[in-house]
Amino acid sequence: MHPALSVIIFTTFSGMGYGLFIWLCAILIAGTPPDDTQIIAGTVLSIIFVGTGLLSSTLHLGHPERAWRAFSQWRSSWLSREGILSILTFGPMVFIGGEKYFSLGMEFLILPMAILGLVGAVATVFTTSMIYASLKAIPAWHNVWVIIGYQVYAISSGGVAYIMIADWLYYKLVIATLILALIVKIITWIYVDRHRGKYTRESALGLPDFGKAKPFEPAHSQKNYLEREMGYNLGKSRRAIMRWLALGCGFILPAGLLYIGFPIAIFIALICLGGMMAERWLFFAEAEHVVRLYYDKDTV
Amino acid sequence: MTCLPEKTDKKLGLLIDLNICVGCHACAVNCKEWNTSGITGPMEDLKPYGDDPSGVWYNRIHSYEFKKENEVDRTVYFPKSCLHCEDAPCVTVCPTGASLKRAEDGIVLVNPDVCIGCKLCSWACPYGAREYDTSAGVMQKCTLCVDKIYDETIDEERRVPSCVSTCPAGARHFGDFANPKSNVSVLAAENDARDLFPEMDTKPVNQYLPPQKREHNEGKKLDQKVSTVKDALLKWATLDFSG
Repeated sequence: MHPALSVIIFTTFSGMGYGLFIWLCAILIAGTPPDDTQIIAGTVLSIIFVGTGLLSSTLHLGHPERAWRAFSQWRSSWLSREGILSILTFGPMVFIGGEKYFSLGMEFLILPMAILGLVGAVATVFTTSMIYASLKAIPAWHNVWVIIGYQVYAISSGGVAYIMIADWLYYKLVIATLILALIVKIITWIYVDRHRGKYTRESALGLPDFGKAKPFEPAHSQKNYLEREMGYNLGKSRRAIMRWLALGCGFILPAGLLYIGFPIAIFIALICLGGMMAERWLFFAEAEHVVRLYYDKDTV
Repeated sequence: MTCLPEKTDKKLGLLIDLNICVGCHACAVNCKEWNTSGITGPMEDLKPYGDDPSGVWYNRIHSYEFKKENEVDRTVYFPKSCLHCEDAPCVTVCPTGASLKRAEDGIVLVNPDVCIGCKLCSWACPYGAREYDTSAGVMQKCTLCVDKIYDETIDEERRVPSCVSTCPAGARHFGDFANPKSNVSVLAAENDARDLFPEMDTKPVNQYLPPQKREHNEGKKLDQKVSTVKDALLKWATLDFSG
């Protein structure tokens, strides 16, 4: 699949934003909350990250001005569900930040809102992952590791962002989630690499009993939309570089820097975000769509 | 509504006979001709006379070379358009309701006034049936010539999709697969009709008839079948009619 920058920014930024909010809500629920300034900073950062991601996602639309229509088909469409939940989850974010900033005297609602926020953020990330995991035509996405991965990467990258606003109180827990995320990513790649080649051109053509098929005359002289959108070719050396970049910047380096207590937390968060963008770039670039069986691929 | 209808009254679709198709592209050309001025037109056609033309086609004619042991290689021309699947994944993923499957006849359509151009439906389709119109910012696809097949102002025998009416070889048939007595159902039942990509669980309505099986040519080579003028003359000269 063609790795479009707008969608990479959408999923990485919103993932980090929801992850940060998950940490904030979890710690509000668990007690020992950070002070009010930190809570305000956390909710503002969450809103900025999620907002940037959602705005970016509308950039790849043909008709961004019609984006509101995407809230209507929640009965069948994961994209629609994601849209609705993402808007709803702004509620607890705005409430918790607003209550702490303006002291509206509704302190007793902070705990229920934190619970709602936690559930909302986890559910939104889940629906984001399901947009991809529900597509049978893209085998690299149509598996449970995509669902687990999106959740875990949101929490690990959000944890690194959380360090920025709320001291280093929970840095060991953040390191643990980074290691967990690293393991999930490696398992996902093992799964994806081992499950290639399941579908054949002959089956796509409905003619499995006529021998081996290869393309003869192309159906058109120039590349069409399908080949431009779904025909991305990723070389092995480039894949290796990007995989190391994703692991290194997304998980290993942030965990290492947290472990040694590197003083500039924003620097760690930026490295982590860059790593997550490399990971998400690969998520698209590596995924092969079965429509390529009608074109250049013998198996997908 | 992007929920699929439980059942459609009719299942209108195409039966494409790969044994007959000669790969002339007339169906694709006439499809574009009709639909560019039809309800979903104009169809994108960028730099048509330049070095790098591109645009939307609802129907594209692929071709494949099949190699099988002990058989002469064969070329199969393979027209591919929307299969109007019963379990159309392109419809359910649509967030806006622009993608729909009609309950009355099963035709899958895109409403260009509602489509936001998110392209997710084209990702969901395993067959590459949907193409994005970059000029209009919306998704496009085969309509089964919905603006032709119901047009009561034209003769009844012309009320078929333009790819069907134009095919010079008679390789394309149009009809209702829900009716077991329809032309397409009978042809499909008698001729080992195939679904494309059954593993995708899309239940395509369109069916394909496979090329003819070769029964008696095991071990034979192509050059044994070809006879030259000289051979023929020699046979006549010796009154040998063994074939």
